[in-house]
Amino acid sequence: MNRKTKDMILDGLTYISSGISVFVLIAIVLYLIIQGASSINWHLLSSNYNVTAYNAAVVETNPGNYAPYNGEGVYSEQYGVAFKDITTAHNDDEIQVVYIDSSSPLANMESLIAGEEGKMVGLNEDSVVQSLYYFDQSGERVFLSRTQMSDAATLVDILDNQSSGVYSINYQTLGGGIRGSIIVTLYLIVISLLISLPIGIASAIYLHEYATKSKINSLIRSGIDTLTGVPSIVYGLMGVTVLFPVTQLMGATSTSILLGGLTLAIILLPTIIRSTEEALMVVPQSLRDGSLSLGATKSQTIFKVVLPCAVNGILTGILLGIGRVIGESAALVYTTSTVINDYPTLLGQGTSLSLMIWSIMSGEQPNYELASAISLIILILVFIINILVKVVAKRFSRRLV
Amino acid sequence: MELCFDVKNLNLWYGEKQALTNINMAIESNAVTAFIGPSGCGKSTFLRCLDRMNDLIEGCRISGAIIHQGIDIFSKAQDIVDLRTKVGMVFQKPNPFPMSVYDNIAYGPRCQGLKDRKKLDEIVINSLKGVALYDEVKDRLHDSALGLSGGQQQRLCIARAIAMSPEVILMDEPTSALDPISTNKIEDLILELKKDYTIVIVTHNMQQAARISDYTAFFLLGEVVEMDKTDVIFNTPHDKRTENYITGRFG
Repeated sequence: MNRKTKDMILDGLTYISSGISVFVLIAIVLYLIIQGASSINWHLLSSNYNVTAYNAAVVETNPGNYAPYNGEGVYSEQYGVAFKDITTAHNDDEIQVVYIDSSSPLANMESLIAGEEGKMVGLNEDSVVQSLYYFDQSGERVFLSRTQMSDAATLVDILDNQSSGVYSINYQTLGGGIRGSIIVTLYLIVISLLISLPIGIASAIYLHEYATKSKINSLIRSGIDTLTGVPSIVYGLMGVTVLFPVTQLMGATSTSILLGGLTLAIILLPTIIRSTEEALMVVPQSLRDGSLSLGATKSQTIFKVVLPCAVNGILTGILLGIGRVIGESAALVYTTSTVINDYPTLLGQGTSLSLMIWSIMSGEQPNYELASAISLIILILVFIINILVKVVAKRFSRRLV
Repeated sequence: MELCFDVKNLNLWYGEKQALTNINMAIESNAVTAFIGPSGCGKSTFLRCLDRMNDLIEGCRISGAIIHQGIDIFSKAQDIVDLRTKVGMVFQKPNPFPMSVYDNIAYGPRCQGLKDRKKLDEIVINSLKGVALYDEVKDRLHDSALGLSGGQQQRLCIARAIAMSPEVILMDEPTSALDPISTNKIEDLILELKKDYTIVIVTHNMQQAARISDYTAFFLLGEVVEMDKTDVIFNTPHDKRTENYITGRFG
């Protein structure tokens, strides 16, 4: 074989390999976009995952005068409300309210739920109808179950043509939102950075500026490098066994977001130490010499000259840390629990965005659409963070030249 | 003549390697003393001993004494930060901090705890005028010092040292990274500064030593071969090795 053919074969192999990897990446992203993009909307980001049930009685029986409606769904002229058929995040077929006039009797009802009787509630665009009692033409009270109303068109037909009035409605919120998980993710980012940043930066300063080349220090250094490679599930186990008593002192009774944050802080430490140390290495020794020769103390030199030069490297560490927190799931299984919580508190349980995917997919009816939508959101966040890291790194290299 | 540094039997080792051997020297106040010699002969190392910058190097060991104002600077009685405020240093490559011109010069006084804005302004302006840089940068005081030219940066570093009103300024080949015009300006500046400060300068350039210094020490392989008035060293050296170096037979 001559040299030219050999070259061509080798070149071809590299082209094919890079082609395959790019193709796989694009395929994954495309799958997520096709599956998940349609589910991403304001409702997904702002509403609860779990449903809340309501049972309410109609107070005002006279139908009002409604503004004309030409939108989506099947419209009930009698009650000024439009319904449509949907499949929820929990994989159930439901009849959802898509529009309701503010003067509709169904928008202003009294709750029948024990403990909050008389409280004003009403259907809104977040409601799905479960069942209802209505009065037929002869004034008899009739129960209409979810199976009997079958779809939105049937329901509207009954309301407009077969009933003389509605007595009460059972309905619930749509659910399937990720608001709670977004809040948990923010909690985790703040807690883990609050703890790991000061400790990590201080350790990096010690290792790079103070530590001499002793055996103990090289042991510490290789220890930190090893920590980077430890699987996060191991950190999770360590968190629940070692750190749980710490959170107990602060009043936690079960696994909690605080425990998850503490565990993540430990996971982030090696990242923060490494990136800070690398930033400190780039600061020229001549600047330290210059500062010391002006009669500055060592700590003045570090805080006034060295750290400001390294600030971009530290920022990179923070961004990488945030990316890690957003992406982490295994370490949180034991520490924050896998219960999707819409109203998370520091000492309560909850799932981060990544862990929520696990919770959704591990149920009896895995929901690919919602999981893909969350994955897509995580991908976008990580993408933004990567761009920020690049921008910061660019500024960094420009400043020290 | 008053003595600024009295060096007695100074030896210095980097690990196992002896870099300076048995150095005895008297450096006079308000004069320019130049160290010449081939590369690696220990002249920069010796210069860094005078403000104890060698302390920063791992594995560096020193014996002997350098008496400054009646105190051995290696003794416990000498506060190292205090020593460095009295002995300023200018390095081979200009090393301004990545901050504004103003902050660069105010850095030293601020580290000493000076916060009074008016006094700082005064120090900055006087220091810049002292190195004939004020007119060139007066409109750019709050711009980054990294935007200045190499020669300007080196004068800024000298101004930064002057801002501490030291007694001594150590200069480690301050013009080796500069063009001839900037070099000229710095040499003029050194002659000007001599009136108020003791200056010790390391140089590779023998003409420079001849032009600006009052005393010259010739270093070779970690030893001081000869030290005398500059015109004596350059015209009637006592040691054969000095003569060979000066006449360009080696080095």
